[in-house]
This record gives sequence, C-alpha cells and structure tokens, in this order.
Amino acid sequence: MSLDRAMDRTPSRALLLGVRLHGWGTGLTLLAVWLLLIAATGFYRPDFFTHQTVLAIAFTMSIVGVMAIGQGIVANSGGFIDLSQPAGLILSSLVAVRLSETGLPFVLVVVGTVLTGMVWGGVNATIIVLAKLNPVIVTLATNFIGLATLYLVFQLAQVPIGSAIYDFGRANLLGLPAIWWPMLALVLLVGLLMRSTRYGRRITAVGGNRAAAAARGISLKKTRFGTFIAAGGFVGFAAILFASSAGPFNPGSANTLQLNIIAAVILAGISLRGGQGNFWMLLLSVGFLSTIPTSLVFFGLSSDTQTIFQGAILIIAVAIDGYRIRRGAR
Amino acid sequence: MTDIAADKRPAGGGVIAHHPLREMLTGSVASIGFTFIVVIVAGLLLVGPKFVSAGNISIMGAFVIVPLIVGAFSGFALLAGVVDLSIGSMVGISSALFALFITMGWPLWAAGAVTLLICLGFGAINAVAIVGFGADAIAATLGMLTALRGITWVLAGNEKAIFAFDMNFFGLVNQSVFGLPLFFLLAILVSLIAALVATKTRVGRHVRAVGGDELAAARAGISVKRVRTAALLLSAFGAGIGGIIYEGQLGSAAGATGFGLEFQVYAALMIGGYSILRGGVGNPLGGALGLLAVAGVSNILDNTGVSPYFVNIIVGLLLLAAVLLDRLRGGDAFE
Repeated sequence: MSLDRAMDRTPSRALLLGVRLHGWGTGLTLLAVWLLLIAATGFYRPDFFTHQTVLAIAFTMSIVGVMAIGQGIVANSGGFIDLSQPAGLILSSLVAVRLSETGLPFVLVVVGTVLTGMVWGGVNATIIVLAKLNPVIVTLATNFIGLATLYLVFQLAQVPIGSAIYDFGRANLLGLPAIWWPMLALVLLVGLLMRSTRYGRRITAVGGNRAAAAARGISLKKTRFGTFIAAGGFVGFAAILFASSAGPFNPGSANTLQLNIIAAVILAGISLRGGQGNFWMLLLSVGFLSTIPTSLVFFGLSSDTQTIFQGAILIIAVAIDGYRIRRGAR
Repeated sequence: MTDIAADKRPAGGGVIAHHPLREMLTGSVASIGFTFIVVIVAGLLLVGPKFVSAGNISIMGAFVIVPLIVGAFSGFALLAGVVDLSIGSMVGISSALFALFITMGWPLWAAGAVTLLICLGFGAINAVAIVGFGADAIAATLGMLTALRGITWVLAGNEKAIFAFDMNFFGLVNQSVFGLPLFFLLAILVSLIAALVATKTRVGRHVRAVGGDELAAARAGISVKRVRTAALLLSAFGAGIGGIIYEGQLGSAAGATGFGLEFQVYAALMIGGYSILRGGVGNPLGGALGLLAVAGVSNILDNTGVSPYFVNIIVGLLLLAAVLLDRLRGGDAFE
C-alpha cells in the first residue's frame, strides 16, 4: 500500500482529470443506488411514499450529516479518522442540556455547545501536534477517556421539556424537520468553502501530500489545529441537533452513529487517505445510508438486519475505493 | 497500513537493535514488563497479599482467557501491517453459531469445526477486500465488524441470546489445574508459542518483514499478498476460537457477546508494544503482558471499590503513554 501512496504523490494531469470525473461518477452511482432503493421499496410497499417516511429519513440524515462534515474534514486533511466523535458529541450534548436548564437564550446555548465541541477538537489537536502522535490512536484514547469520564459525571440527561431547544428538535419547516435545514446549509457551505477558498485548498493539499504542502509554506501544525477544531465545531453543532431531538440519552448513545458517519464519508468519495473528495456528495451518501433502516422496516426485516447491510456496503465501498486508487496509481 | 503513518522511514525504525542486552532493557517488551511489575506492586500495596492469591488470579485469569487468545492470533495481522477490527464481532458470531449448532443437537467437535470454518470464510472476505482489492484495512474490517454484529443480533433473535448449555464443555472450559483455570494456562501457552513463532521462526520473520517494509519484503522474494492473507485468516481463526471458549464459559451466547472487544484488545496490545498503524513492531509476549496489566488494573479497581469506568480512563492514558514511548524510541512521528 505504501507503494500506491508513494505514486499517489505525483499525480499526472490525466489522473487529476480522472479524479474530477470520478467525483461526479461517485455522485451518479450514489444517486442511482439511492433511487433504486427508494423505487424498490415503493414498488414493494406503496405506502412507503408518505410524509412520515420522509420525516424519518430526514431526521436520521441531520445528525449523521453534520458529523460527517467534521469527519470528512479530518479525513481530507490526512488525519485519517477521528474516533473520538462519540465522546465529543455526548460532551457537547451534556453542555447543551446544562445550559438550557439554566434558561439561557437558545442562541447562547448553541454558541456554548459549539464552543465545547471546538475545545474537544482542540484537546485532540494539542495531543496530536505536541506529542506528534497519530490521530487515529490519539482519538481512540481520548474517546476511551472521554466516555468513561462522562459515565462518571452522568447516567441519563435530557433537554428540559418545553425549552427552546426542545421545541427546535420537534419543529417542522417546509415539510421537513427543522434540524434538517442547518445540515443542508452546512454541507453546501463547506463544500463550497473547501473548493474555492485558500483555507479549504490548503487542507486538501496537506491531506494529499504533506511534504509538498509544507514545502509550499503551508504550516502543518496550524492546519492540523484548524481542521480538528473545525471538526470539533461540527460535532458541537451536531450535538445541538442530537440533544434537541434524541430524547433522554446516556454516554453510550452515540456509539452506533460512528460507523454510519465513517461509511458516509467513504461512500461520498472522501478518501480516508486524504487529499480528495467532494463534500456535496455527503448529501447523497448520508441520504442513502439513512434510507436503508426505513426501507428495511418496510420490507419486513428487523432493524438488526440494517447493520448487516451497512457493513456489507462499507466493505464494498472501501474495496472499490482501494481498487480505484491502485489502478489510478499505475 | 503503513500508508497513513509511515513516510520514508528506514525499516526497523531508528532502534539501536543490534545489541541483544540493550534491546532487552530498552525494547517494547521491557517497558511493558516494567508496567506489569508496577501493576503487581500497586496491587500488593492497594489490595494486599490477596491480590496474588490463587483465587484472585483465577478470577483475573478467567476474564483474560479470550482476550489473550484473540490477541495472540490477531497480533500476527498487526505484525503483517493489516489491522483486523472485526475480531470483537467475530468472537460474537462464533459464539452465537457454536451455541446455535449445539441447540441443533450437533456433536461438539462438529459444531466447533463448522463454526471455525465459517469464521475463516469471513476472514477470507476481509482478505479479498484488503489484499485483493487494496481496501484500507481499518475501514474494511470496520465494515465487517458491523455486518457480523448485525448477523449475530439476527441469530440471537428476540431473546437477544442463545442458551446452549453443554455440561461436558462447560466443565472442560471452566476446569482448574494447580488452582488456576486450565484455559488460562493454555492461553498463556498459546501466547508463548505465538511469541516463539513471531520472533524465532522464518515464518515470523517474513510476517514482520512484510509489515515493516512491504517493498523490501517483496524484493526479498516474500509474497506480501500470501503473508497478509494468511495473517487475516489467522486473526479470524483466533477470534473464532475465542468465541467458542466464551460460549463454554457462559453456557450461552448473547447478541452483544464480544462487543467492543476489539478496542480493549488493541488498546492492551498497543500498550504492549504493537502498533495498529504500522506493521512489523510488537511481540506476542509484550501483547500478553499488556492484556494482563490491563486485567490487573481492572482487578485492583474492583477490589478497592472504585468505579469500573476508571479502567477505561487508565487504559486511555496508558495507551497514549505507550505510543509516545514508541515514538521516542524511534517509531513514526506524525507530521
């Protein structure tokens, strides 16, 4: 694999074009598979096409989508995976609960929660940069430590019923859950920023080739801090959506989200090897993955089967990703 | 796996390795050996002489049998540079399948053999994705982890567990010799054999060569693909055995059996000197000591009435300390 990577470092013009096309190819494939799933379910059970289904899918999309942006930024910058997202999400959600219990206005609750997520990302980044350790292991350890500490602090928490954040989690806007719209806005915004601003391109450059990026005068340390703090901010924002809509949660409540998020990032074509990916594709991959559980219920399959499908899809997706990189490198 | 971490680093890191005595005192086994002694001393101070009594060691031992065996086998996958995250779910599905076959009235040997064959089949899928297609090992085995957990839940059905108590097998697995669990002693033996294979045999050298620098290994005529495939199959096989033993210990298999085991095992193995991101480093002996040290810490907390959640905090801190130590010893620096 290191052979592939070594060759990755000198992409030819043709390869770049291929990557660009493959970005849209990924999108078309995802869209086709998603539509196929919807059509098949609707054909089997016409009552699939209800507003209720749309609401269920959109709810699932919201939290996974926002966290996937954070995960995508980390992956894109060459940080591989942030395994500490569950701990960050629960920590921020707990802050959201405590802040809303004091009766602070909603805006301040949001600010406080997002800041908590950014601090969490900053802690990770500090360890990674100062100790020069690999993010995967650091975030594995901080997730261990964070979740265990959270278990010591609380067992069950919920935002106060009737508070602004509680109402936000249950409100609808234009036929979709209110929490879905910020997700859409953030994915579109980040996709645009990553592509057309200097900072976005720096992140991608560092992820693609650290040495070349450093030689071009991009500070690796600053980029690493920036990406992890930004990723933490998205986890913090996801915590608002999570705390507002999830009902009572415990420190283990976010563990099942982790895999969905990683799968969404890989399916969207944001390579875990860094340096490539179109964030807009997250809308399709998250939408597709969020439709699976609802579809399976309509097919009369237990909710346990959804994890089988998600796992199988992830294996196939990374196999295709690996194959593409290998072929592209030759 | 080298692709995430390793840039152009000479094989074997910067370790001053050619002096066996120095290696013995400064290598990764030495630091985990030291940690292990610290844990025992802490146990003696905090818990008292009871800590090293046969009764207490039996309690600890019974808990680490499965992690020790699973760790000894999956350590080869780490050495070959392909981390297998699916081991926890593999333990779960193996335990569920074995229980299921027993409830169907199959003889023990047939139930065990078919269970292990199915586990090898799943290991082969891992190998096809990772070695055949070049999928990233962490992501692919994460997918396998999810899929197998799903199948295990489906097998466990509405009761969330399969009850399959076989008197003979229960007796065998929970047998004691010299006041210690038989299978604990066997697990230690397996770890020692794994250590010998990894360090003293040609096979072990090939595995470590592939994990350390696959290009150099390929130039030396070692088939990288074959070694990695074998390592992934071995890892699945070890997890399969672990699942069968779990079933024997409990007399049942739950949908959640083995949940999160992969993180516990790998955290302990990394504390013991392995790396999940870089092949070729680590030693089954260090891995076993890492698992025993973590079991010791958790036993101390149990005996002193401290919340069990502190185990994970200590494991997390030890993990960070271990990888930092590894880096200072000449391992990969990130950036």
